[in-house]
Amino acid sequence: MDPRLAGSEEELVAEAAPQSAAAPAARDGSVPLARPPLGLRVRRGLDKGGGRVYAIVFIMLLYGPLVLLAVFSFNDSIVFSLPWSGFTTKWYGQALSDSNLRQALRNSLIVSSIVAPLSVVLGTLAAYPITRLRFRMRGAAAMLLAAPLVVPWLVIGISALIYFNKTHVALSWHTVVVMHVVVTFPLVTVLVSASLARFDRTQEESAIDLGASQLQVVRYVLLPLIAPALMASFILAFSWSFNNFEITYFVGGFDQLFPVWVYSTLRHASNLPIVNAISTLVSIVEVALVYTFWILITWRAGARTSREKTETLMESFR
Amino acid sequence: MVSLAPAAPQGRQLRARAVKKLRPVAFLISPIGVLLLLFVAPLIILVIMSFRYESLYGFQTGWTLDNFRLLFTDPIYRGVAKDTIIIASTAMICQLLIAFPLSYFIAFKAGRWELPLLLLLVLVDELNPIVRIYAWRMLLGREGLINDFLMWTGLVDAPLDWLLFTKFSVILVLSTSWVNYCAIPIYASMKAINPSLFEAATDLGAGWFTRWRRILLPLAAPGVFVAVILVYIPLFTDFATPGLVGGTSSYMLGNTVADLMVAIGDWGGGAALSLLLLTAMAGISVLAYFLTKLNQLD
Repeated sequence: MDPRLAGSEEELVAEAAPQSAAAPAARDGSVPLARPPLGLRVRRGLDKGGGRVYAIVFIMLLYGPLVLLAVFSFNDSIVFSLPWSGFTTKWYGQALSDSNLRQALRNSLIVSSIVAPLSVVLGTLAAYPITRLRFRMRGAAAMLLAAPLVVPWLVIGISALIYFNKTHVALSWHTVVVMHVVVTFPLVTVLVSASLARFDRTQEESAIDLGASQLQVVRYVLLPLIAPALMASFILAFSWSFNNFEITYFVGGFDQLFPVWVYSTLRHASNLPIVNAISTLVSIVEVALVYTFWILITWRAGARTSREKTETLMESFR
Repeated sequence: MVSLAPAAPQGRQLRARAVKKLRPVAFLISPIGVLLLLFVAPLIILVIMSFRYESLYGFQTGWTLDNFRLLFTDPIYRGVAKDTIIIASTAMICQLLIAFPLSYFIAFKAGRWELPLLLLLVLVDELNPIVRIYAWRMLLGREGLINDFLMWTGLVDAPLDWLLFTKFSVILVLSTSWVNYCAIPIYASMKAINPSLFEAATDLGAGWFTRWRRILLPLAAPGVFVAVILVYIPLFTDFATPGLVGGTSSYMLGNTVADLMVAIGDWGGGAALSLLLLTAMAGISVLAYFLTKLNQLD
């Protein structure tokens, strides 16, 4: 609860209930405040507790199913239900030795590893002139760069499918890479533009006044300023590409990638322990990656207090 | 920088001007080129495709409006469109009802829990959406954990059938998949509100309802607008969720497009339907924009 808010409410109560003003004054010599009546205290407690319960229920709604999935991936039974039939890790062994699954995972990792650096480079190239240079058509260029974030992936996916067919380009993981770059680098542009817009250009101008060359300005002034945004972009681009289902589904051709593998496996059978196992593994890796990255960013930004960390988080993901 | 202009008598100035003029081009040529080649060109082909008629193996081709006419006259499409609007709108309303109080709690009341809660909200976006949908399917099924639990407590005698492959399951899973996108912009707009406004309102005798109605809602409206744009539009084109947890009553327009394209191979119909969806979405954006403007004037 916000302390200032609480203070004002207590003052109100003090005015409204003078009969309880006889309560002992605070020991530290601050302004003596009346003790709020019981009803208000109960209500405030409920307010706070209610909010917490609400937040917990919400987080359980988001993460609960995945946690249960992880727990039951160790269950020695082919159905996902009670009673518990014993602990086993055999599903993990089976999942990791499934050749289709391994191929899909390998394809996905290759695609994301190519998409992430390409998106960061293209996105940064686009962000610099949009925020730092003045030229005709700047508004139009900015709109075009934002458009892939607004048009649904389904529409982009099917238009790409028709386009590649008409231009006689065979569908494979190569076409997946280029289409992932198309939808991912505008996100990088948004993140890096926001980061560039926050720093005014006087730093760059004074570097030029002090005799720095263009390259030196980029290397010693610009890059350090936008480094957190670049790191955030890289991680986001990687996970966007790895998790993308809609576009991959249409332009993947015969090369299966992980999300499409899960989808098509589930369409044919409803209950597959190896899907539980591999889903758990992938989720754990994803969480660990993002958490490590977050520690890196807050450490680099020198954020110590919780407030600073919150701001760093919001800045790097805005 | 590479030399871009020939060395003329006043070469230095001229060259500097040319460099300045060409600098945006040098930066933008590759990103804009990629978009023109792989985003704009496919969309143009999509528009052309939706007005084309092509018989099997392409023996007969021509211009036609049949793709659109079929979409408007066929009662099956009308039913699917109705279901889609019902499902997407219900999910959107559920998400706003969940996300608004949650954002308020995180922004003003959570204290030291603010950071962990935010982190959890951001983190969930990094998890694979297909895996998240699949996890719900495992819970909701006839032999799923929820039914097991209900039977075990004796609340129900027979497993509930309506938990999976119904509108309910699609709305539930859609809501939980997108609610973080809904909450983050609302939180950001609430965070920008000066808390002393609430104090002032309290001092002037406003109750919590008045505080929410007159301060919180108008000032958080831009965040709500962003949330609606960010979430409502993708809800219409989602086909993985209804594909995995939906049944015949929750077959959505996204599935129709996907099936027309992949299973049936009617590319003209698929292109026409997705073009219609795109137009409807532009309409929604404009509408949401004006609604927010109205609210701010008030």
